[in-house]
Amino acid sequence: MLLASATLGCIAVSVAVGSVSLSLADVWAVLTGKGEPLHRTLILDLRLPRALAAFATGGLLAVAGALMQVLLRNPLADPYVLGLSGGAAVAALLSMLADYPPVVVSIAAFMGALGSAVLVFGLSHGRGSWTTTRLLLTGVVISSGWGAVITFMLAIGPTERLPGMLYWLMGDLAYARSPWPALIVLGLTSLILLPLGRSLNVLSRGPLQAAALGVAVRPLEWSIYGSASLLTASAVTTAGSIGFVGLVVPHMLRLVLGNDQRLILPAAALAGGALLVLADTVARTAIAPEQLPAGVITALLGVPTFLYLLYRSR
Amino acid sequence: MVRLTPALVTTFVAALITAAAAHANPKRCVVDDIEHTVCLSQPAQRIIALSPGATELLFAAGAGNQVVAAVTYSDHPEAAKALPRIGSYNRFDMEAILAARPDLIIAWKEGNPREQVLQLRELGIPVYHGDQRDFKDIATTLNRLGVLAGTEMQANTRAAHFLEAIEHYRQRYSKAAKVPTFYQVWINPLMTANNQHFIGHALALCGGENIFGELPRLTPRISEEAVLSANPEVIIAGGMGEDDPSWLEPWRTYRNLLAVQRNNLFFVPPSTLQRPSPRLLDGIEQLCAHLDTARGRR
Repeated sequence: MLLASATLGCIAVSVAVGSVSLSLADVWAVLTGKGEPLHRTLILDLRLPRALAAFATGGLLAVAGALMQVLLRNPLADPYVLGLSGGAAVAALLSMLADYPPVVVSIAAFMGALGSAVLVFGLSHGRGSWTTTRLLLTGVVISSGWGAVITFMLAIGPTERLPGMLYWLMGDLAYARSPWPALIVLGLTSLILLPLGRSLNVLSRGPLQAAALGVAVRPLEWSIYGSASLLTASAVTTAGSIGFVGLVVPHMLRLVLGNDQRLILPAAALAGGALLVLADTVARTAIAPEQLPAGVITALLGVPTFLYLLYRSR
Repeated sequence: MVRLTPALVTTFVAALITAAAAHANPKRCVVDDIEHTVCLSQPAQRIIALSPGATELLFAAGAGNQVVAAVTYSDHPEAAKALPRIGSYNRFDMEAILAARPDLIIAWKEGNPREQVLQLRELGIPVYHGDQRDFKDIATTLNRLGVLAGTEMQANTRAAHFLEAIEHYRQRYSKAAKVPTFYQVWINPLMTANNQHFIGHALALCGGENIFGELPRLTPRISEEAVLSANPEVIIAGGMGEDDPSWLEPWRTYRNLLAVQRNNLFFVPPSTLQRPSPRLLDGIEQLCAHLDTARGRR
């Protein structure tokens, strides 16, 4: 409840604050359907869609991170650890090099992320048994492979396209075209994951224990992998690869709420969303009219908060 | 009764059509560099330029007073320095742009982020996309900006002068001895420009022979070895600032280079050769003079 209201608060702040200062009365007038045309454009066409996109992206990444950490039973796991962002980036940068319009770049990023997920899944499946260690290793290696391809493309890419490519890699909500696909994916997966909370709790104690307690481990692991991939793919499609949210928000919540997935997953959606909304608001106003990528701010805001929580928990 | 001769009918019909066209379309329309038609019902009074080059072109087209905001590094002419800034060419502040209430935006096809330019168009602001690749494009852009800003007279004069000056150089140097030249765009990594670039065009105009002109990329990254083996007669460099010839110094250690032996290391302020604006003439003048100096040292 607290988190939900905090999230609403963040979105409200994000709508009220911008490089053009509007009074609260102006904002209210627009939200109630009145107000000047310029103010309406600023709020309804620029700030609100961007805040919603930031919320959806942050939520998607935090939930995906929480899922990956349960799946791999590794605290360092984040949504990108298995190479999804790398696959998305390679496809997106290729389509930027080929001079395709923004919509195609988004679609390419989505296909790249899912393609990379399928590749990692297929390879780690191999002939032998499917263990999370194999999955993690395959993912990490493929991820470094994508990294090399990205560096190669940046090195040979035409100079005039480099800034756009770099900004995509840094993650930036200026590229978010519409918040709705990401919001819908976030809502749907939350609905699907909620009933799985208990099984996830058991799984996080280890696959043997989970099997002993009657959880169908293999299908559960596959569905976690599948849904985390879908979540991450939607997130990178909306805003490029924004770092940090997926790694740290779930840990933060565990420090505060304890390790109950039934609580962590919805809380991650809200807290991840709120963090990114806040970060993006700072990013577009801090040194306005110059704009910063949101990824910088997520880390700058998140690192001290996380360290404080970690320090206090001892 | 008036006899309707065919000629009279034709004249009458033609007049009707003209009147109808003028009535249905009282607009100033131009086609921009991505083949979009940009139409305004009256001359633009609040223009935003999304690249330093676009700012220069607008001022050159006589529309300087109608420019209300620009991006960082819009440093020419002097009046442009005082314009409010709305961010840099590759990251600009959408709110600040809308708050300036522009009635025309001059975008840069290669440099500006497309999502945001597209969004500005979707918000109903007329956007002219510029992508000038040669001297003729600069003149054409001046003409078109003149139409959009209602300053056709000044813009067309400026464009015509620009083309005349280019033609003057072309004639003067078409028979001049070729000078193998290396143009250094950047030092680290070492970068040059090919023949498609303005620098390449300018070199060709002055009778220079760009040693890396045939490379496929517009601004190729190259090795020092490639420069040494091509052994240019002249090395020309830009620099970090408008008067910083320090990039030429490292070449002096290579005493076997023809350019070093003849002391043909020259500096040309980068903005005069790298921006699509009529100021290219300044850069070309310096470039041609340097190549003449090199010919004199043969």
